[in-house]
Amino acid sequence: MSIAAAGAAPAVSADARPVAVPAVVAPRRRSRRRRASSWGWGVVAVLVAAAFAFPVYWMVNTSLLPTNEIIGPRVHFWPDQLTLRNYETAIFDQVRAPFLPALGTSLTVTFLVLVASMLFAFAGALAVTRFRFRGRRAFVLSILVVQMIPGEAMMISIFQLVDGWRLLNTVVGLGIVYLAGVLPFTLWTLRGFVNGVPVELEEAAMIDGCSRGRAFWRVTFPLLAPGLVSTGVFAFLQAWNEFMMALIIMTRPEQMTLPVWLRTFQQATRATDWGALMAGSVLVAVPVIVFFLIVQGRMTGGLVSGAVKG
Amino acid sequence: MSSTTLPAAPPSAAPAPRASRAITPARLLPWLLLAPSLAALLVVTGWPLVRMLWLSFHEYERAQLMGVPAPWVGVQNYVDTLTDPRFWTVTLRSFGLMVACVVLTITLGTLVALLLMRLGRVMRLVLSVGLLLAWAMPPLAAMLVWGWMFDTRYGVVNHTLTRLTGTSWMGHPWLIEPLQFFAVATLVIVWGAIPFVAFTLYAGLTQVPQEVLEAAQIDGAGARKRFFRIQVPYVRAIYTVLIVLSMIWDLKVFTQIFVLQGIGGVKSQTSTLGVYIYEMGMAQGHYGAASAIAVVFTVIMLVISAYYVRATVKEEEL
Amino acid sequence: MKILRFAAAGLAAALTLTACSSGSAGGTTDSTDGGSEGAEIRVWLVGTDTPDEARTYLKETFEEQNPGSTLVVQEQAWDGLVDKLTTSLSGSDSPDVVEVGNTQAPTFTSSGFFAPLDDIAEDLGGDDLLPGFVESGTWDGTFYAAPYYAGSRVVFYSQQVLGDTPVPTTLDEYVAAAKAATTDTHSGVWFPGQDWYNMLPFVWENGGFIAEQDGEEWKAGFSSEGGIAGLQQVQDLFQNASKAPKDGDETNLQVPFCEGTTTFLSAPSWIKWSILAEADADVPGCPETFGADLHAFPLPGKDGGAAQVFAGGSNVAVAAKSANPDLAKEALTIMLSDEYQTILAENGLIPAKVSLADALPDDEITAAAAAAAANARLTPATPRWGDVEAQKVIQDALVRIAQGEDVTAVAEDLDSTIESILNG
Repeated sequence: MSIAAAGAAPAVSADARPVAVPAVVAPRRRSRRRRASSWGWGVVAVLVAAAFAFPVYWMVNTSLLPTNEIIGPRVHFWPDQLTLRNYETAIFDQVRAPFLPALGTSLTVTFLVLVASMLFAFAGALAVTRFRFRGRRAFVLSILVVQMIPGEAMMISIFQLVDGWRLLNTVVGLGIVYLAGVLPFTLWTLRGFVNGVPVELEEAAMIDGCSRGRAFWRVTFPLLAPGLVSTGVFAFLQAWNEFMMALIIMTRPEQMTLPVWLRTFQQATRATDWGALMAGSVLVAVPVIVFFLIVQGRMTGGLVSGAVKG
Repeated sequence: MSSTTLPAAPPSAAPAPRASRAITPARLLPWLLLAPSLAALLVVTGWPLVRMLWLSFHEYERAQLMGVPAPWVGVQNYVDTLTDPRFWTVTLRSFGLMVACVVLTITLGTLVALLLMRLGRVMRLVLSVGLLLAWAMPPLAAMLVWGWMFDTRYGVVNHTLTRLTGTSWMGHPWLIEPLQFFAVATLVIVWGAIPFVAFTLYAGLTQVPQEVLEAAQIDGAGARKRFFRIQVPYVRAIYTVLIVLSMIWDLKVFTQIFVLQGIGGVKSQTSTLGVYIYEMGMAQGHYGAASAIAVVFTVIMLVISAYYVRATVKEEEL
Repeated sequence: MKILRFAAAGLAAALTLTACSSGSAGGTTDSTDGGSEGAEIRVWLVGTDTPDEARTYLKETFEEQNPGSTLVVQEQAWDGLVDKLTTSLSGSDSPDVVEVGNTQAPTFTSSGFFAPLDDIAEDLGGDDLLPGFVESGTWDGTFYAAPYYAGSRVVFYSQQVLGDTPVPTTLDEYVAAAKAATTDTHSGVWFPGQDWYNMLPFVWENGGFIAEQDGEEWKAGFSSEGGIAGLQQVQDLFQNASKAPKDGDETNLQVPFCEGTTTFLSAPSWIKWSILAEADADVPGCPETFGADLHAFPLPGKDGGAAQVFAGGSNVAVAAKSANPDLAKEALTIMLSDEYQTILAENGLIPAKVSLADALPDDEITAAAAAAAANARLTPATPRWGDVEAQKVIQDALVRIAQGEDVTAVAEDLDSTIESILNG
């Protein structure tokens, strides 16, 4: 499984401190010259933003145009002949695998992986940071090394494993595979965050009469929220985007995940319907964008906490 | 890995360390906490890993999937891999792509982060939304869109270039010629990777105390000097992580290359290591050979990241 | 219809010639006792070639003959088919009946992925089955994959575009006519860079070959004298007669035709339906304009007649791990029945049984397809051939030729790659 396109940074240094990052750091005192130059920077910012957003815009634009205009001599820079037909084709076309079951499968798998990976990784991160036991170092090292193995070579063995459990074409089977795929990174990241919260804080709370568990829950846990968000984003992206394992584990059309469903649009023997393909891409991308917008504010702050030398 | 072995079942029974005679709840607790992750990893990652090693010493082809016993071939798969010029070409190509992508990602990511620092609230929001959109695009969907933009006949890129340059770019195939293929691939990879790097660096840079920067400014340090002398040292740890991660991710890049090849690249001239392993194993059924390549690849990765791994080990000793 | 029957018989004969006698050993009757009643049989068809009418017929007939059981048809993509079948067929949730490309069949028959069909070979059609496809589906004397249908490529043209120019009768005339019709914006022939099926006739007609077995070793023949000559002709077309993308594949072939920007279009005969698609279809064709006077002829050979073209088509087999092999075989028997194959034939696909050629529609395009099929040839019969296709080595080489690289150098590269795969 590829661990590319991640959504979080792991912490690196044990003595790092988590710092709450203010969402907006207002620059103090602005000279007149700076104000003038800030205009220039504003223009640059808009250009850069447009460059990054353009492919997304182009996807939406194409998805709203009729097919004969898409593959025609003229390029339409905005949907001047607006149609929803591509979405109709993408969602209801009988020839391909159905959209709604694919959406259901993807949502279920992603939710399962998100919840399970955060619980597992959180518990695991506590174990390796708050306790000293034999094998701890080996474990930490191995979750680092595991991330360097190219997953493509393990696909066949993982397939046989899931097959052996008779879990092919099940959400649980795929979910377990994804969970194991994201755990090394999520555990690694959370470990950094937990490390960043000084034990002394908990100990102080314990002196005040809290039990160890309670002290942790009241003091440390709230400080970990950004870390949990970061790892959650990572798990979400992995489970939502992965398609090579999904392709071989979910072979029944009614069990496909969205990326596999999206791949069914391209058929070597059939004309590529770019409009429907782009409409399908929009449908796959929208939930992620919504998710990002929800966690956005917390995410940017959370990314860095463990890793700053304070 | 650890002194315990776990049942293959999903996490429920937490194993006790067998070394200790007196099992106290306190000793059990870390294992209880670790059990779910450990179980999942041992079974779904550990076992395939062991099997990958096993496969790499056997001749394992499609027939073996159907139950034919796999003959032991010793180190033959490794000999074949290391003497195959294709393997070295692919490795060099992967490194070239990785270096280009990492350098561009980190440089441009830094510039975008600095830009974010300079902006007022509104403009920062605008830029953030642009970056977020790029970041949130699922790689498969993103690749399909990029493939469509670079389409030979109807692509917006050829269309725009024709307009800008005055000469006709219509019908220019971007993906055939390997250098152009990798230019497109690099563009797409960097486009997808910058938001993460920029946001992370930005969050780090906001931690640099304003007073220090202002003091330096009063002392006459220019923006450049302030950046290299003050800001960079402050976020050095972040840079280390970002660079190591980018290196690992870009070396392992799969989706982007795989999908682009499907749209129109010449496979034999554009495969990177991940795609090559997939081709060898899943596509052609030489699972033993593919496993050997993966093992060699992993060793190379370990060598590259040795510094980072060593630092981690040291840190764990504390 | 005599011509058609003759043509189909010719196809049969041609495909027999390439066959090196598949000694039909009757043994290996491993007829696993069938599964329970009330099972679900999953049939994997690839691409959209099988018409809906046939799918419905299959489902209804099967469920009528096997009360309580159901049959579902699931459509797969050609792209990545071998990868997906390899895992699916080896797993516990295997589909029961699968279609594979005829050139891909040896990959699976040689590794035990399909159940032997010797015990029902007679019910499926016996000697009436297309022999070349029977050979693709036979491994080591055991019959694993039955022919499903065959197809071939024809050259389409629109009379209003071709004008008074006579239809070419030899391959050289065809190349000359295509080049003569080419302008800055108009293609004489639409030839995308990856379209290797259209390249093969040039190699074969000039005396080249793909690969031949020489003792234990395979020897590839693109860099043989005839191979080079053929590829040079192909390069000539790429450079001087085609405005198609040099990296393009065979998708959207109807588009340039419907724009009227190409004189000839060499394509599978089913492209006809894309050209004639109504304006309100998902991907509209042009039945009113350039499709209004649609014609086709078989690609002419070096010395006249029909050229040797690639015999495309499919085999169909029962998965070795099917949970209900007996029911699966019944479904397969229906797919090879006269009624089912007649439906395929009526839709322009060359049926798996030689005796059903009569059912092919009586029109110019089908006649051209049948004439082309009569001279059709196959890719090398080795399980490794599937790897050559999966790696797209021929497409890659062809793209380089389309770009104008030296033909001899590319052909030598290609041959050494093919040999390393086939002999590896």
